[in-house]
Amino acid sequence: MATYAEMREIYEDITRDFRYEHELNGCLNCGICTATCPSAHFYDYSPREIVQLLWTENVEQVYDAMQEKIWACAQCMTCAARCPFKNSPGGLVAIMREVAIKHGMQSAKDVLRPFGRVMLKLITTGNQLSPDMIQPDHFPDWGPNIQKVEGDLKTLRKAIPVKTLQTTDTAWETSLKTSVEMYTIWEDTGVLRQLETMDENLFDVIQDFIEEKREEYDEWLEERQAAKAD
Amino acid sequence: MSTTEPKGIAGHGAFFQPTNLAPEDAERATAWVRKHVDRRQLDLGERMDDVRDHMWELERDGEIIVHRISDDHQPVVVKTLFGWDKRIPTAQLWHHKSCGQCGNIPGYPTSLLWTMNELGMVPGKDYLDETDQTSCTAWNYHGSGIGNVESLAAVFLRNFHQAYVSGAKLGHRPGHFFPLVHCATSFGNYKEIRKYLIERPELRERVKKILGKLGRLVDGKLVIPEEVVHYSEWVHVMRNAIASKLQKIDVSKLRVTVHMACHYNKMVHEDAIYDPEVLGGHRAATGTGVAQALGAQVIDYSTWYDCCGFGFRHIISEREFTRSFTIDRKIKVAREEANADLMLGIDTGCVTTMDKNQWIGRAHAQQYSVPIMADIQFAALACGADPFKIVQLQWHSSPCEEVVEKMGLSWAESKQRFEEYLQAVKAGRIEYLYDPRLADSMSRAA
Repeated sequence: MATYAEMREIYEDITRDFRYEHELNGCLNCGICTATCPSAHFYDYSPREIVQLLWTENVEQVYDAMQEKIWACAQCMTCAARCPFKNSPGGLVAIMREVAIKHGMQSAKDVLRPFGRVMLKLITTGNQLSPDMIQPDHFPDWGPNIQKVEGDLKTLRKAIPVKTLQTTDTAWETSLKTSVEMYTIWEDTGVLRQLETMDENLFDVIQDFIEEKREEYDEWLEERQAAKAD
Repeated sequence: MSTTEPKGIAGHGAFFQPTNLAPEDAERATAWVRKHVDRRQLDLGERMDDVRDHMWELERDGEIIVHRISDDHQPVVVKTLFGWDKRIPTAQLWHHKSCGQCGNIPGYPTSLLWTMNELGMVPGKDYLDETDQTSCTAWNYHGSGIGNVESLAAVFLRNFHQAYVSGAKLGHRPGHFFPLVHCATSFGNYKEIRKYLIERPELRERVKKILGKLGRLVDGKLVIPEEVVHYSEWVHVMRNAIASKLQKIDVSKLRVTVHMACHYNKMVHEDAIYDPEVLGGHRAATGTGVAQALGAQVIDYSTWYDCCGFGFRHIISEREFTRSFTIDRKIKVAREEANADLMLGIDTGCVTTMDKNQWIGRAHAQQYSVPIMADIQFAALACGADPFKIVQLQWHSSPCEEVVEKMGLSWAESKQRFEEYLQAVKAGRIEYLYDPRLADSMSRAA
């Protein structure tokens, strides 16, 4: 259980984000945001509540909302488009999620565990999903008609008349240089640190992968140089 | 968990009390809200100024380089929500692909490239598709919270810098190719990030160091695009040309509903295109505009404004939400209320969500089905593109074969042709929409 001081620190981290003043301008409790919110149909979640908790500096209930409620938001931003005060409850939720991760909250770890596959793909390749992730075995609820022509994935992808799309393990072919540039971005913006806080094992796997790819790129550069010298 | 008992300060939860106002008093009490929810009546105020004005100031001050839309890009001017002008380039485009489209709905980008080819656009001159690009990473950010404004900004600037310099190897000047963003989440995210970059000098400073390290500055400056342009906007401004020059199939008997992508018209909503000739100008125009131009019957429905239920995180790990919402609020309504032959989307997640989550409705005796595809896939079909080879409908789960048949095409014959083509593919005889060598940015990278 967090102490009040810890909860206060979390709250202040939220309000310190420069976007906070963009996203919260006031609230008259009209509830337009909740009325139009898809998540409010199915979860114990109300964007109006999130706005009110922050607006009234309700430190303890903000902390409570970060245990589960903020993860219900679908991030569609319908609330933001509708709010007469130009608030963005969805934008506030994005800030709160980042802060939950920064503080290594267990709720964030629990919620994000099934997201590991996407994270791995994204960080290592710069693509968020790939054809081999979307196979019938992974999505039985999508039904037997998940694709209408039988055949192995590789051939079906080769039959797409665009060279960059003839891939199975990335959505499109990404050059090695591009991926290596992304690794610098992840490192320098603290994204790898976020990952380490959330899932150390995944972080280790990713670190190894990055190292390997950088070596591969360096070798490629050396080969290019040698070829030019010849 | 907090040990403090909730006191209902915020006026929510079990402590919420109904006002019990008389109907006329309730009407009066909420009139102000209703008035302000109509964005076109909104007092623009200082928070709603046009960020592009500040962008030009930054360029004048020597802070940034604006990737300009020149006459060579053959721009078409459209109106956005508040009546502001937006210039949509129609030529010399850098295809900024969508991970969800390419991974899951490949007929989306192929239909777009095919349409461009049919309009006479020349690969390598009028458009470029290459490997030096990444996802915007915003699907992940909205789903997991991992990432931050700085990482999103660095990714945005890296990709758009590449667009700016991409023509060099082909002998074009810097800025020849202007980025055309395929994904609506990328589109919304990039616009949001561009706004932050323009407004926040400290953010610019931080990402400038990273971009400098990557060799992604021009004359020591960040490159920011004059406009962030979504592919559906290109389709929208080209809709009449597509219909008049390319259309081969009469679609006037088809009842079409459109699902608008939230991240197209709800993020930085002042930038979305509205057109008085499309749904009375009350709703964002893309997607619907091209369906109208092709002569389809566009049918409105009560949940038009709703999201699809994608949820970013939910479609992966809480699919019961995604499928329940999409069936209840989209598929069922399109079927029962609009009696739609077809639902068109303009984004990645929406098309995936609505397309894949129909069969599961049987578990609750909700057997509603509507063919789902993107506006450009529908346009390509109407213009004679092959349903399999080009429009790639074999990847869709919803009953797209019904629409194909209603358009007078034989699904079975097309399928047979495609299966024969697969044998040719296995033998290495692959047909391309452009010379594959154009895609190779690695050789250009060194």
